[in-house]
Amino acid sequence: MTNSQFRMSAAEAEQPPVVTATGDIDLANVNEFSDVLNSAAADSDAITVDLSDVTYCDSAAVRALFAVAATTKLGLIVPARGPIMTLLSISGLDRVATVVTCD
Amino acid sequence: MQSDLLDAVGLAITIHDKRYDEHPSVLAALGVGADFAAAQLSGIGGPLPDALAYQVPVLSLDLWTDDRWPELTLASLRSRAPQHESSWEHVRGAAAVPGVWADDATVVVCCTLSQPASAATVASLITYEQLVSAALIITAAENASAIADIITVLQSRGAIEQAKGALMGLVRCDAEHAWRMLRRASQEFNVKLRELAVALVEHISGAPAEQPDTGTPIRPDERTCEAARLMWAALSETPLAQ
Repeated sequence: MTNSQFRMSAAEAEQPPVVTATGDIDLANVNEFSDVLNSAAADSDAITVDLSDVTYCDSAAVRALFAVAATTKLGLIVPARGPIMTLLSISGLDRVATVVTCD
Repeated sequence: MQSDLLDAVGLAITIHDKRYDEHPSVLAALGVGADFAAAQLSGIGGPLPDALAYQVPVLSLDLWTDDRWPELTLASLRSRAPQHESSWEHVRGAAAVPGVWADDATVVVCCTLSQPASAATVASLITYEQLVSAALIITAAENASAIADIITVLQSRGAIEQAKGALMGLVRCDAEHAWRMLRRASQEFNVKLRELAVALVEHISGAPAEQPDTGTPIRPDERTCEAARLMWAALSETPLAQ
């Protein structure tokens, strides 16, 4: 499944599928983001979401991530500093997902 | 909601409508929900004020040790609401989910659990928040003053609780007895109970009763104030040994 902003790469060599997001995630495109997350989670009991190239995300994205984490083991790749990491720690999403930071 | 969240020790739906009220009000609560909401909003922090402030879902695995709210501890809740002593010991996690249902109007659904909150807890609350927001939008659309009425009821609840407390202290009775005295006096003097409660609090304290700054503050008329004076005088003269 490919999409301009949200890409999914299939699971391989015992690694879970990876959803890579770029740009802004907000109310305008959160449904697309959710659809990609759900289809990645459908065939796997774990997924990784790479947010390292996301420029902005808000409450809508946090809700979508909580929703997918309710049924799937969630791993997140996020920039070590910046608004996304702040959002994860305010919401406590970092306590139920495995967070890996990148520079 | 309670049947779905089996580990819930408390639930609270809090609304904050900046058009009518500077302060958030608890619209409905179960278990320790109301007292937990009041404690968090009093300044010690917690998932509820953070969900209101940042407009994101907030989850905690273990409230009392969560580093985000160092003042939110078992000891502080015990001293604020000792009547829930046994419940506070069982509290572990919590989650709060905000929603916006009108310009400047926020609702937060918050639950307190006897085990760590999970992403599934947040997912359930998201569903409920959508239902609650939809109900509020419909209510507001049908009757613009309905939301103001809800806030008036919440507001008078505070005065009624204060009046009951004063009566319990004066007559040395329990809350149920104080409530019956208030209700009987309101019937005998033919005045509204919530106005009588405000008048009584103002008569005892000699100052305006504390009320949130809403569009329609409760202002008891002269007849109600006189009823409150008579009621307080009659009770004050009653000898303790009857």
